[in-house]
Amino acid sequence: MSSSRERILAAARANKPALMSLPPPSDFGGDASLARFSEVLASIGGTVVRLAARSELAATVQQLFPAARLVASALLTPTLVVDQQTPTDVLADVDLAVLAGEFGVAENGAVWLPEAQMLHRALPTVTQHLALVLDQRQLVATMHQAYARLPAGPGGYGLFIAGPSKTADIEQSLVIGAHGARSLVVLVY
Amino acid sequence: MKVALFVPCYVDQFYPQVGIATLQLLGKLGITAAYPPGQTCCGQPLANSGCERDALPIYRHFVETFQDYDAVVVPSGSCVYHVRKHFDKLEQTPAVQRVRANTVDLIDFIVDKLGITTLPGAYPHKVGLHLSCHGQRGLHQANESEVTPVRDGHLRRLLAGLDGIELTELDRNDECCGFGGTFCVSEAAISGRMGHDRVQDHLRNGTQVLTGGDMSCLMHLQGIVRRQKLPMKVLHAVEILNGIS
Amino acid sequence: MSYRTHASRAEAFVLDHERTSWHDETLWFVRQKRDKAVYAVPEFQELRNLASAIKDHTLSQLDFYLEQFEAAALANGVRVHWAADAAEHNAIVLDIIRARGATRVVKSKSMLTEECHLNPYLIEHGLEVIDTDLGERIIQLRDEPPSHLVLPAIHLKKEDVGETFFKHLGTAEGLTDPQQLTEAARQHLRAKFLAGEVALTGVNFAIAETGSVVVCTNEGNADLGVNLAPVHIASMGIEKLIPRLQDLGVFTRLLARSATGQPVTTYTAHYTRPAEGREMHVIIVDNGRTKQLGRPDFRASLKCIRCGACMNTCPVYRRSGGHSYDFTVPGPIGSILSPNIDLKKHSTLPFASTLCGSCTDVCPVKIDIHTQLYKWRQIVAEANGLLVAKKLGMQFMGRLLASPAAFKLSGQLARRGLRLLPHALSHNQAVNAWAIARELPEPPKQSFRDWYAQQAPTPSA
Repeated sequence: MSSSRERILAAARANKPALMSLPPPSDFGGDASLARFSEVLASIGGTVVRLAARSELAATVQQLFPAARLVASALLTPTLVVDQQTPTDVLADVDLAVLAGEFGVAENGAVWLPEAQMLHRALPTVTQHLALVLDQRQLVATMHQAYARLPAGPGGYGLFIAGPSKTADIEQSLVIGAHGARSLVVLVY
Repeated sequence: MKVALFVPCYVDQFYPQVGIATLQLLGKLGITAAYPPGQTCCGQPLANSGCERDALPIYRHFVETFQDYDAVVVPSGSCVYHVRKHFDKLEQTPAVQRVRANTVDLIDFIVDKLGITTLPGAYPHKVGLHLSCHGQRGLHQANESEVTPVRDGHLRRLLAGLDGIELTELDRNDECCGFGGTFCVSEAAISGRMGHDRVQDHLRNGTQVLTGGDMSCLMHLQGIVRRQKLPMKVLHAVEILNGIS
Repeated sequence: MSYRTHASRAEAFVLDHERTSWHDETLWFVRQKRDKAVYAVPEFQELRNLASAIKDHTLSQLDFYLEQFEAAALANGVRVHWAADAAEHNAIVLDIIRARGATRVVKSKSMLTEECHLNPYLIEHGLEVIDTDLGERIIQLRDEPPSHLVLPAIHLKKEDVGETFFKHLGTAEGLTDPQQLTEAARQHLRAKFLAGEVALTGVNFAIAETGSVVVCTNEGNADLGVNLAPVHIASMGIEKLIPRLQDLGVFTRLLARSATGQPVTTYTAHYTRPAEGREMHVIIVDNGRTKQLGRPDFRASLKCIRCGACMNTCPVYRRSGGHSYDFTVPGPIGSILSPNIDLKKHSTLPFASTLCGSCTDVCPVKIDIHTQLYKWRQIVAEANGLLVAKKLGMQFMGRLLASPAAFKLSGQLARRGLRLLPHALSHNQAVNAWAIARELPEPPKQSFRDWYAQQAPTPSA
């Protein structure tokens, strides 16, 4: 390989301090309740909507997003079919994506969305609105427990999504809907 | 217990009453403190300017002056912090180690060494406590807002125990005053602004008497109070504690 | 060659009293949000210990983890490049872009590419480079450097942004509503995202065991850029490594809470493999970091996770602004990183602090920032960066303060001088910086030692 590689590695080897020990993975327990998850998600601009049953999904989505014209989803009948080959100009028009979250994190309102559930890697951020569907039994308390649920690694691409896209870059004024989804609803069943 | 009093250089020259009050308060608490006349300075002004090497003779002189005492009491957390933390540059002889361990802030000495947690007396004024960063974050004399919302500390408790006293609740409990040793002249504009903001916090929240455990911060704040002709008295805490008993 | 000092730049900033108040209060507000988030996590201090220990360990095995990361990334189909310095890094980026025949680059926030001055380099070579983080885009349009690690445009007021957008994005004149300004930027940048050919990102964490890079944003701009463009280039300093995926549990709990008081960033993205038919490159950059690793007093600065908490808490930063530091990374952490890069140019930065220690106490990875500031001061002074007059004065002081007799005499003279001089002279601001904002203490007639000598002719022992 390049000589820079060798030089950097040699310098790191020469300049590193004596070996310090690596602490074992930690777990501080904590509250994994839906109440906690909902409270935190609300505080960061997201919303939890409870489904009485998973079968209510389509009706609830229709009710929550009556104006959504192009809806991409593998969980209900889509108005726009999205897959890995969908071109950018088509993705650009998606109003709503309804995707399956794998588990939620109560301490910060984040939902783990693996690549396999995204249809296209850009879909969760390019869509105007995002709805994540989550089994309420799939909640953990903290990020320690969250990563412990990924023993095989994060996959090719994976996202923790905590609320809608936001920014406070202008005078620290919080604005929801920076570049990613303008709103985030977690549909819990 | 053989106790010495170290009076910081600027206190010696500009605030002798703080040294006097320290000596008198210790006396009332049953401690006769000696004042070794050969003492000068802890060396901090030089070291914080980057001239630690030039400060080494001062360090050695400090150790020689105080090595025979069981406690070196100082009415300034900043000097204590400097001796404890930065005299590591000296060869760690038993004398150096002893002096580093035995050098103690006055308030810590009263509370931790003498076990005195309340002092009798009344002080019916609205008092604003200025925490010195070296005392608070360096010597852990008071809780830090970076860690906990609970405002607590030795001096705060001693003062709160006085009859009739009301302690000011500041908007920012432990923001630095901007003195910072030579910072106060090398970064005079920022230092002045920081001091101004600190004084305004006290003013806004009703402080009549501004106090603290470190005269260097107070010298800076007093300079601003006097320049702006503000209705606020500035006293070292030992002046209050000695005055009431 | 002479350089302007932090003090001179800070003095210019603080001249605008109202704006300084606003800057201070805006950042103090962020510090308060941080406090609230920190107090709510009982194990927060334990998390800081863990983060510090994980980083210490990683640095002590850095060569091993670099190779482990490289092997895992290569196995994932990622192309790995090594850059010894900024020039090599920039050349690698340009090569990758040219190989694709691309001209449109979208970029998410990366302090490393700022450090390498990548943007001007790419623009010089005829490429369109668009910063997509809102704050970064604002300052890019204004041709200014960032003034904060995570809030790059925090020095600007909404009126300034409105004016910039009026000029560059065609928004209505006088528009100052952050919501509307952000919407305008969203529309403007969406077109750039959709047209992007190469996406550049920084790296918050690189996982040695999986070969993944992790990028944290609130806006979603990194993910939008990367997932729409055919090529992703991630630039990382060698210090971004952590050993295990599990270690992210510690760091993701600390990062956003320390930075903005959020429980986590909106998007925590893990990039491990390129999407089918696309390219992913990781550039591993040294640029002075292995040198810092070799400085025992300063290597802990490499543990920094770029949260910016030390800036928000720093009473000097809040009142002097990020540009007063004149370095890619401003504030306390910048003041301990910059002397490693150019001691002479940045010699006043370690002095731009009261050593109050608040930076050290908020640091999520427990870097002893104020102690390192103190240590850099020693090195600066030794290297004669300190003004010669000041240095000579210090040697004189050293001798004076080691001699009780000389000390006593000089004190007497100083006090007498102060008493005798007229106020206008003793407070002359041209020669006495103390007197700009403050009165001098009223000199007492007698020093403590003189008083004591009168009280106790035979000092008790």
